[in-house]
Amino acid sequence: MPAYVLRINGKSHQVTCDPQTPLLSLLRDTLGLTGAKYGCGEGQCGACTVLLNGEAVQSCITPASAVAGGAITTIEGLGTPENLHPVQRAFLDKAAFQCGFCTPGMILGAAALLEKTPNPTPDQVKTALEGHICRCGTYPRIVDAVRMAAQVRRDAR
Amino acid sequence: MPVDLKQRYRADTEGLGCDVQDYRFEITRRELASLGLGLICTVTRVHAAPVVTRLHVAPDGIVTVMTGKVELGQGLRNMLVGVVADPLRIQPEGVRVLTCDTDLCPDDGGTWGSLTTPETVPLIQQAALRLRAALDETDGVIPKIHFEVRPVDGLAIVTGAHKFPSDLAMPNMQYGRVLRGPAYKSKLIAAPQRKGVVRDGDFIGVFGKTPAEAAQLARTVRPKWATEPLPSKAEMFARFKPKSVPPKPGEGGRYPALIVNGDIARGFSQAVQRHESSYTIANIAHVPLEPRAAVAEWKGERLTVWSGTQAPFLVRKELANAFRIPETSVRVISVNPGGAFGGKQRGEVDLEAARLARAAGTPVKVAWSREEEFTASYCRPAGIVEVASGLDANQNILVWQHRNYNSGASSLRPPYAIPHYSCEFHRSESPVRQGSYRSLAAVANTFARESHVNELADRLHMDPLEFRLRNLEDVRLKNCLERGAEVFGWRRSRGAAVGLACNIEKDARLALFVEMEEPKPGRIKVRRMVFVFDVGNIMHPDGLLNQAQGALLMGIGGALFEELTWDARHITNGRLSSYRVPRFSDMPEIRIILMSRPQIPGAGAGEAPITVVAPAIAAALKGRVKGDLDSLPLAPGVRT
Repeated sequence: MPAYVLRINGKSHQVTCDPQTPLLSLLRDTLGLTGAKYGCGEGQCGACTVLLNGEAVQSCITPASAVAGGAITTIEGLGTPENLHPVQRAFLDKAAFQCGFCTPGMILGAAALLEKTPNPTPDQVKTALEGHICRCGTYPRIVDAVRMAAQVRRDAR
Repeated sequence: MPVDLKQRYRADTEGLGCDVQDYRFEITRRELASLGLGLICTVTRVHAAPVVTRLHVAPDGIVTVMTGKVELGQGLRNMLVGVVADPLRIQPEGVRVLTCDTDLCPDDGGTWGSLTTPETVPLIQQAALRLRAALDETDGVIPKIHFEVRPVDGLAIVTGAHKFPSDLAMPNMQYGRVLRGPAYKSKLIAAPQRKGVVRDGDFIGVFGKTPAEAAQLARTVRPKWATEPLPSKAEMFARFKPKSVPPKPGEGGRYPALIVNGDIARGFSQAVQRHESSYTIANIAHVPLEPRAAVAEWKGERLTVWSGTQAPFLVRKELANAFRIPETSVRVISVNPGGAFGGKQRGEVDLEAARLARAAGTPVKVAWSREEEFTASYCRPAGIVEVASGLDANQNILVWQHRNYNSGASSLRPPYAIPHYSCEFHRSESPVRQGSYRSLAAVANTFARESHVNELADRLHMDPLEFRLRNLEDVRLKNCLERGAEVFGWRRSRGAAVGLACNIEKDARLALFVEMEEPKPGRIKVRRMVFVFDVGNIMHPDGLLNQAQGALLMGIGGALFEELTWDARHITNGRLSSYRVPRFSDMPEIRIILMSRPQIPGAGAGEAPITVVAPAIAAALKGRVKGDLDSLPLAPGVRT
C-alpha cells in the first residue's frame, strides 16, 4: 500500500493506506483526531467537514490520495480553548448547538464561508451550510452565530 | 466551601426528616473515591425505599451531582448545575454533573417523556436545598429557580474535544462489525466457522484490529440467510384495524389507553350534527446525527459497556439477561450521544459490542453505519386515527370519539371541554420494528384531533381560532391562543396560507400559528411560525427556547416529507441521500413567546412543541396543494 504524507493542523503525518481510504477514517481511526464525525458516509450531512487548503471538504468522501500534500485543518487545529476562532467563540456565546455532534463540521463550514464572504447575509449563510444537517434543529442559532462571528472578524480589522 | 461546613452539616442533618437519609465521609467504593474524599448528600425519591447518592462535596468544594438521566443535548447538565449552584451559592464552574453510570448513579428511569424537568430536577434541587439548609442551620426556603447557565459542555463541543460514543477508544480495543441479512426480515441459516467470526443464534459478527480489517473480514464471510417478505404499506395499513385489540380500563400506566368522560352513546344520540374523519401517519426514522455506537469490555464475568443509550438501567437488564449474569455484574456508562430523540432506548449496539468483546477477549467497539441506523433500529410507529364527533345545538362539541390504531396513547385526552368523550388506543401489529419517538404518539393524536377541529370549524363557517376559544375552558391555553393570534396577526391574515393548532401536552400549554409559502413552483415551505409556550415556571429560558425551536424544526420534517419507504425486501430509503430531514432551507422565521408562570411547577418541554406542527401546516395548506391532507407526511414528494 502506498504511503502518504498528510499535513494536518501544521504537523506532518505519514500514513500507509489504500488510496481510496477516506480522509475521515485516517483522521479518526489512525490519527485519533475524532473532532470530525461520521454521520452518513456519502457527503450528505457535513458532520465530517474539514478544511483542505482553506476550502470546506467532506472528509468521508475525500480519498487519502486526493489530500496528500495539501494543508488540512480539523476542528482540533482551528482554535484553542484559550484562543478560540471567532466562529467557535460565536457558537459558544449563542449556544448554537444541542447535542453538539454537528458542531465541529458546522464551525469549519462557517469558517470557510467567512474567508470568502466576510459579510454574509442570512441567506448566504443558509445556502453555504445547506449541506450540513443539525438534527437537533438549531439552524436559526447557527445563522445568528455565523453572522456574529463575521461582525467580530470585521471589527477586529 | 469552607471545611468546617462539613462538620456543621454532620451535626445538623440528624433532624432534617426523611429526605436526607444518610451521609458519610468514608467512601468504600473504589469508583467513588475517584471523586475525592468528601461529603455525600443522599436523598430518596419521595416514598421510595432505596437511599441514593445525589450530591458529593469534595474537600476542595467541588460539588458533584449524580443522576441516572442522560444528557442528549436537551440541556440536562445546564439545568442541574443551575439548581445546585444557586442554593449553594457557588459558581457554576464548581459543580460537576455525573450522568448515568449504573454503578455510581441512582436509577432515574430512562431519559424520555420530558420527565427530567418535572421529576429529576426538583429531586436534585431538593437535595441541594437540604444541604444548604443544613449548612445554614435554617430551613431551606425554596427559591424561585430561574437562571442562566452557559452551556456546561460548550467549550468542549466547539473545540471538538467533546467525546461521543463513536469517539471512544481504549488500549487493545478491536473493532467489531455485525453482518446483516440481505432483507429486513432475515434469519441466519449457516455461517462458516473462522477466526474472528462470532456466531450466536441469529447473531453473526466479526472483529479485527482496525475498522478496515473488520470490514475486510465481513466481506469475506458469506453466511446463508432465509428471508421473509415485507408486506406493502397499503397491506400494513389495511391490517391495523383487523389485528387490533381494544383497550381495557386501567391499561397503559403513564399513558392510559382508555380515557372516558360522560357517555358517548348518549352524546351521539343528543348531537345535532355528526362528523367523522380518518387520518394516517407514516413510519419515520429518528435519524440521530450520530449512529449508535458502543464499546464493551469484559473482565472475567464482569461486563462494562460505554454507549449512548437513553436508558442505561434498562440496557443493563438487557445485557444481564442476554449473558445470563446478574445485573450487579454489568455496568453501563452512558456517554452523551449525538442525538437520540427516543431512538436510543434499547441496547442493540451494546449487546453486539458485548457479544463480540466476549469472543475477542479484548474491548470491542461497534459503531453503526448510517444504513444500519436506518435499517437495524426501530422507527416511529405508523397508525390510523379515527375521530367521530357530534355538535350540540349551540354548535359546540358535545361528544368525541378518538380511536388510535397502532401508533400509541400519548396525548389522547382532548384539551377541549367536551361533555362526552372516549379516547382509545388500540394495540395492533407492525411489520417493521417500532418504538419510541420524540413525544411518542402525541404527534399522531394531536394531528388527528386538531385537524378534525379545523374541519368542524370549516363546516360551521367559523374561524378556527374562535371555534377553539368557544370550546376551551383552560384559561392558560386560551391565553396562549389569544397571544399568538395577536402577534401573528391572525385576524388580519384571512385568505393567506395560514393555519393554527393548539394542545395541552405533558402539562404544558401550546399554540402554534404558521404561514406557508411557495418559493418556487411545486415547492412548499413554512414561511413563518409564531409559537406560544406556557410550561409553568421557566427554569432555564435559553435552554427552553433552544428545545422549542428544535422541536418545531424537527416537526416540519415529519409533517411535510419524512417517511420510511420499503419494498418486499427491505427499507428503500435508508440513507441521507434518499431520506430527507429538515435543512437550513426548510427553516422558517420562528418567533417563540414564553408565558411566564413562576407559581406553577415547570413541565417538561423538549417534546411538546413537535405535536402541533403537522396540524397547523395541514390547515395552512388546505386548498393549496393536491393530495390529501389527512395523512402524514403531507407532501412527501416535495424536494428542496
